[in-house]
Amino acid sequence: MPKLSLPKLLRHLLKLVGVLAIVAWSLVPIGLIAMSSFKADRDIFSTSGTFSFAPTLANYEALWSRWGDFFFGLWNSFLVTVGATVLAVGVSLLAGFAYSRFASRGLQASAFFLIFIRLIPPIVITLPLFPVVNWLGLNDTHFVLIVLYATFFVSLGTVVMRTFIDQIPRELDEAAMMDGASQVQIIMRVILPMAAQGMLAVSVFVIVYAWNEFLFAFIFTTTKAKTAPLVISEMIGAVEGVEWGVLFAASTVQLVPVLAFVILMQKHLVAGLTAGAVKG
Amino acid sequence: MSARTPLSAIALVSPVQLMIGGIIFLPAIYVFWLSLNQSSFGQAASFVGFANYAKVLGDAYFWKALLNTVIVVAVVVHVELLLGLGMALFFASGVPFRPLLLAIVLAPYAVSEVSAVVMWRFLFEPDVGMMSRLLMTLGLPPIEWAVNPSHGLAMVSLLSIWLHLPFSFIILYAARLSIPSDLYEAAAIDGASPWTSFRRITLPLLMPALLIAALFRYIFAFRLFSEVWLMTGGGPARSTEVMAVYLYLEAFRYNAFGPAAATGWLLVLASLLLALFYLRRLYREMFARA
Repeated sequence: MPKLSLPKLLRHLLKLVGVLAIVAWSLVPIGLIAMSSFKADRDIFSTSGTFSFAPTLANYEALWSRWGDFFFGLWNSFLVTVGATVLAVGVSLLAGFAYSRFASRGLQASAFFLIFIRLIPPIVITLPLFPVVNWLGLNDTHFVLIVLYATFFVSLGTVVMRTFIDQIPRELDEAAMMDGASQVQIIMRVILPMAAQGMLAVSVFVIVYAWNEFLFAFIFTTTKAKTAPLVISEMIGAVEGVEWGVLFAASTVQLVPVLAFVILMQKHLVAGLTAGAVKG
Repeated sequence: MSARTPLSAIALVSPVQLMIGGIIFLPAIYVFWLSLNQSSFGQAASFVGFANYAKVLGDAYFWKALLNTVIVVAVVVHVELLLGLGMALFFASGVPFRPLLLAIVLAPYAVSEVSAVVMWRFLFEPDVGMMSRLLMTLGLPPIEWAVNPSHGLAMVSLLSIWLHLPFSFIILYAARLSIPSDLYEAAAIDGASPWTSFRRITLPLLMPALLIAALFRYIFAFRLFSEVWLMTGGGPARSTEVMAVYLYLEAFRYNAFGPAAATGWLLVLASLLLALFYLRRLYREMFARA
């Protein structure tokens, strides 16, 4: 092993401390509840039982037998997430293509409107929407959440799609146009395969948002379309003696799929965040 | 650029425009109308002018909520940017297992507000939580987030920073990576100290990204609802409410749609004001090309 000078050693040590601090900050809260979900009640708060405990599935069994609502909520979350993602990505692709390939004063103004609209806080529009949704009989439906979630991400989605489609050479659509392809055919056959990266980036945003969202679910759903985060919030609230173990099991089940997804899609998330933030 | 928009372009952008127009823009305008009326759920509206605004502005709870929001937003956004900047520079200086470490940093992005509340409440559970015990061991006073309003807001801030740090970090890290490394090499040849090259190269070149990240975070932090609602519920005695919680309670608990709408419109105005410079610059840029 080569000899290290003292300043160099110190720098390595500092770096190690930095890495450890980052890992602890990000992972301790997550790891702790995931680990504690496998603990018996008496081990959850015991000092000696932090790491040494007999793992048990009791919390998951209790979750299954007493909070069937939660699994129903997961299913609702899944349906709403899929719906919102398909809708948001689809319409963002169309609009992103138009903003990338056409230019006019009207389009420019509407692009400005897209960004401007992001400034309106979601809670504000719940006021007028709540009575309207009730009146239309859409309260407590998947439909209402799908439309709301997609709507709050189409402006970011469009900006991201435009950035990605800008990188596809126009010669490709022109060649297709020469061959007599229509606008829709160009989008489906030329743009879609090459803009897949952008579509993945947009879907990461929408999926994470729709899977985790609380405010709209809290206001617009009660029983039939209740999502998993809402059920977890009821578990927090249902209790002054919080059943921590069951709560940890539920949080872990809700978190694991989306966490795995974010880690898998890391590259697209980073690309989308930078494309979306830099441009709009 | 042509003055006319091709029909096919109109058709392509119309789904997006109809969605944001119909579901965000028109309702937001309608909130303004609501704010000028006395109404509650299922009751006919009657015009009252700016009475709702007067009522809201005369409500001590409104000012309390506004103050709380301003404090939390200021703390959250600035601490977050500072940490994000520090981490971005740390990553840029070279870290071991970079892809793995990046995934770890991004992990909180996947966590829902609800689960984050579960995690941080557990860590700070009085007497028995891991952090509470750590504070006790260090001889520090406990965080009494359920009874002490400023502790409650501190918990909310901590939670918010934890949830949103990945966003600020990514924006700043991407910007830092786009700074050409020959700038630093040239500076090193000229004998610049690390501090000088940070002040003369890194900071000025990161400024646009810092401003964008700050803007987005100001606007989004201003909407803060779930963290507060699930952590303290605005209590004890309405002392930890923020603007969105105040609005929610006015509308859905006290059935005061008029004052709630007035609060909502004030929220919209505040967001627009925060973003005014950005919007103006963007507007100029977009129409300069036209």
